[in-house]
Amino acid sequence: MKTRILTFTSSIFLCVAARAELKWEQSTIDLHPSVSDKAAVAHFKYQNTGTTPVHFKSVKASCGCTTTQTQKEVVNPGEKGEIVATFTIGDRTGQQIKTVTVQTDDPNPTQATSILTLKATIPQSLDIKPTFVYWQSGEELKPKKISIKATKDFPAKNITVKSNSQNFESKVEPGSASGEWTIEVTPKDTSHPFGTALLVQTDYPKEAPKSFYVNLQVTNPPGAPPALKPNVPNAPAVKAATPPAIPKVSPSAGVER
Amino acid sequence: MKLRAVREGLLLVALACLPAIGEGIYFRSKISWQSSIPASELVTVDRARAWGDAAIWVDARPDEEFARDHVPGAFSVNEDHWNELLPQFLPNWSPEKKVVVYCSAESCNAARDVAKRLRDEAQLKDVFVLQGGWEEWLKKSR
Repeated sequence: MKTRILTFTSSIFLCVAARAELKWEQSTIDLHPSVSDKAAVAHFKYQNTGTTPVHFKSVKASCGCTTTQTQKEVVNPGEKGEIVATFTIGDRTGQQIKTVTVQTDDPNPTQATSILTLKATIPQSLDIKPTFVYWQSGEELKPKKISIKATKDFPAKNITVKSNSQNFESKVEPGSASGEWTIEVTPKDTSHPFGTALLVQTDYPKEAPKSFYVNLQVTNPPGAPPALKPNVPNAPAVKAATPPAIPKVSPSAGVER
Repeated sequence: MKLRAVREGLLLVALACLPAIGEGIYFRSKISWQSSIPASELVTVDRARAWGDAAIWVDARPDEEFARDHVPGAFSVNEDHWNELLPQFLPNWSPEKKVVVYCSAESCNAARDVAKRLRDEAQLKDVFVLQGGWEEWLKKSR
């Protein structure tokens, strides 16, 4: 009985050992890009610890924002290499988790697929709440407040607020602590739908100060047609569209401290 | 004799546990990091379509995929160009509208992330994620 159990156990371990070929140094990589970084790059290093060559069949990222690069298509026994995953940050903030699925020709289906995880913590620069304020058509001309806080990774001391619209009045007040502000916005007229964006500019980083937007809107009355024509099917993407026009400085709206 | 039977029984139980432990260790990197979306924040294609003009569709996929094809009338709002695209979408929103966000398929995260930002940052109400995404919409449209 003992001999049989021993044989059975040994055969399981032998099978497992024979399958283990492509070994990853790390299958999860944590990245901490800086405020000014445009991309976060992860290097997933591997080694073929088996006795037969391993062929990559496919390497797919979970998101269009991540591209992958393999150095070689075939990894010979003993050879080392890496898969480079580049995550384009774009306008993302906070923790981002992206995966890369690697398929090889390993006959063992569980061994043939590896999932590599890239975790990027993108520092939040300004905490703006809310980034959108609206008044309904015909609503009372009451001011609405937007709170702005510079995070610990983003030591901005001053902000400048600009608006390209004469339809809204904005006022910036310093908050109770350094790096905190309140913007008070009031529409001059809510009789018809209208929208614009406030441009919030910081004094940090010094070499390339960052811009943020707060969207302001007087909305359509319920049931009214939309202010803009929606995209039609198969129309070109709206990527070409520019961000809200950066206005000429409106002295009443711009405040620095 | 009895002791031997118990010992062998325990040994067999331990052996049976081996594959489970091995699998747990082997698949530790394959644990899903995607938090599930609460059912109240999901909407099916049929239900979203039934909303008609009361729904406004948001495509969270990358620009190239949106350019290839999208739900008729949908607005592109992805995180690659959030600051550019959001101001184009907002003039078309109004408080009584329900926002339906979709990405490529059930497994993608983009719709969930965009929906979260619309709720948290822009503070929009009635923001839903389309179950099955663009793939499901196409399937139902055939």
